[in-house]
Amino acid sequence: MTEWFADNFVSILNGLAIGSLLFILAVGLSLVFGMMDVLNLGHGALYLIGAYVGYQFTGGVSSWSGFLTALAVAAAFGAVAGLILSVATQPLVGRGHLDQALLTLGVALVVAEVISIIFGDDVQNVVAPPGLNESIQVFGNTYPAYRLALIGIGAVLAIGVWLVIEKTSLGALIRASVSDREMVSAVGVDNRKVKAGVFAFGSMLAAVAGVLGGPVYGARTGLDETVLLLALVVIVIGGLGSVRGALIGALVIGQVESLGKALYPDFASFMLFGALALVLIVRPRGLFGSKVGAG
Amino acid sequence: MTQPILSRRNALGVFGLAGLAATAGCGSSVGGGDSGGGSSSGGGGAIKVGLIVPQDGVYTPLGVDMKNAWDLYLDQHDGMLGGYEVETIVADEGEGPDTGVPAIQGLLTRDNVDVLVGIVNSASALGSAEAIAAAKKVLVISNADAIAVTGDARSPYIWRASFTNAQAAFAMGEYLAGQQPEGGVYLMAPDYAAGQETFVAFKDSYVGGGGTIAGEALTPFGTTQDFQPFLSAIPGSGAGATFVFYSGGEAVSFVQQYASLGLKDSVPLYGSGFLTEGSVLEAQGEAAVGIQTALHYSTEIDNPANTEFVDAYQGAYDVLPTCFAVQTWDAALVLDLALAETEDLSGDAVSEALGGLAEISDSPRGPWSFDGQSPKHIEYLREVQESDGGLINVVVEELGEYGQ
Repeated sequence: MTEWFADNFVSILNGLAIGSLLFILAVGLSLVFGMMDVLNLGHGALYLIGAYVGYQFTGGVSSWSGFLTALAVAAAFGAVAGLILSVATQPLVGRGHLDQALLTLGVALVVAEVISIIFGDDVQNVVAPPGLNESIQVFGNTYPAYRLALIGIGAVLAIGVWLVIEKTSLGALIRASVSDREMVSAVGVDNRKVKAGVFAFGSMLAAVAGVLGGPVYGARTGLDETVLLLALVVIVIGGLGSVRGALIGALVIGQVESLGKALYPDFASFMLFGALALVLIVRPRGLFGSKVGAG
Repeated sequence: MTQPILSRRNALGVFGLAGLAATAGCGSSVGGGDSGGGSSSGGGGAIKVGLIVPQDGVYTPLGVDMKNAWDLYLDQHDGMLGGYEVETIVADEGEGPDTGVPAIQGLLTRDNVDVLVGIVNSASALGSAEAIAAAKKVLVISNADAIAVTGDARSPYIWRASFTNAQAAFAMGEYLAGQQPEGGVYLMAPDYAAGQETFVAFKDSYVGGGGTIAGEALTPFGTTQDFQPFLSAIPGSGAGATFVFYSGGEAVSFVQQYASLGLKDSVPLYGSGFLTEGSVLEAQGEAAVGIQTALHYSTEIDNPANTEFVDAYQGAYDVLPTCFAVQTWDAALVLDLALAETEDLSGDAVSEALGGLAEISDSPRGPWSFDGQSPKHIEYLREVQESDGGLINVVVEELGEYGQ
């Protein structure tokens, strides 16, 4: 057992790092989808914007000022984009997921194309800030320091978001909106504002995830679709509209993507969707999905 | 004139204009600009070439290099190939056969081109073989690398001026068999046709030469962002070297993760040349230094044709040429040579002329000749090194000549 653990230590560690990144990415999508029932397929494009903002401000040079500026710009950009998406999807409320999917996917395609026009189609590299852009020894294994930091950032964000959602009155409002939107508006809360706020927050996290994920996944065309797919799998596994669900889903997928592939490389292609299918068979609403969903 | 579909009224208009242009042309017979309406076979002086390269999708950077090289060749040769004035019609190949095949069909039926040049994706080449044979037009491939294209699925009209997957892998296998890295070689490639062909060719020469395989992994193609799960098996396998085939975005992620997991210093990395070719090398940065690859081209090859080519290309586009540019340059070169030998632009005549070509001596990649319908050329062992202008693939040695 100890030996098995030692052999696979790097994979487990890596699973945690990927899981952290996926959590930051998916929690916003989960809240927006679970709460206002808006399926935002533009989420991946927000990540892509973040990734290219990271590239733009670091420019292949390792610097803290560049990296932090990128984070701030991406956060601001993401929040504004979230507000715009919130307004844009407002007329579609109640018209089903297909219309929302069409609108947000259309926006995502336009964004991806504009990025491709501005930055070209070459693969770009985002460099981790100084001190984190090297590898360190962890129990005799060489591992990139940046990914370790990612685990820390993910943990801090997870605790922060969890505290806000579970322990504050603002969080109570959000949770109430997730479980019964009509009732919340019946007691006099304009749930468009709540939706806009959550949308902005979730989009901000997606764009921030793009910067944070830069040193791991880089910036390139097509990345938006890949991460959108991962985020969707995470929230389906975790269950909609719950921070805890997004966290568990992200950690599960992180390990599936890392440890799973390392242990069973021959099944690497099926692993992600195998895990998804398994969860859907056993718990159709996801591991932490509410039992009283909108049906 | 490039009206895709002519209604009768449009056609009349175009012919009218063509008539005007013809009369105007009498005055000044220079006529440097575009030829008029329907002069597809004036006096044996013109040829329509369909250049089919990706202008959209993941292969776009390749398409840019290819078109650049084509334009440069024509610029330097007064827009002529083998005495024919060239009219180039560019079509977008896109990513796969779903866009590539219709684009080729369009060039053949709508634009009535005489010769096709280009194609990045092997599936597009294979998928349009029938249409090309039916139209009896020659296609000179300037990238698509599947062995089958000029192997099992050979068509007399499809020629290749690029390379096959097997060549670099076979050459590197032979080289590593000679080096005998302690503990054997670990193999990795994406799980699709090119990756599998690479495995087969590498094992052919490496295991055949007495080498041992320490382990191997085929990674899911196009969906693998993080190679760590696969890479973490390498130290345990005891491998003394790793040989891989990755290109594009995957090459960038792979090389960086290989370095960041501390493998670069303990297990040297070898690959097919695309691992460190073109724009990916820049993105890989420091992590790529020291990687050795086999390929049929490097900007650092020391021959007059290459020096001239690199200077001209850099002068025109301000970047170093890639192997994709050279392949398209060579496609233009062989057409130039072949068309000079033929009076007739039919597929059979052009094909025969291509088959009759002697060794092509003034290519930037060094001398090469057709082996069957695909190049037999020198594979170079290259090492990524830092220079003043950034990273370059320095030629370490010639690995020898390899056919398809």
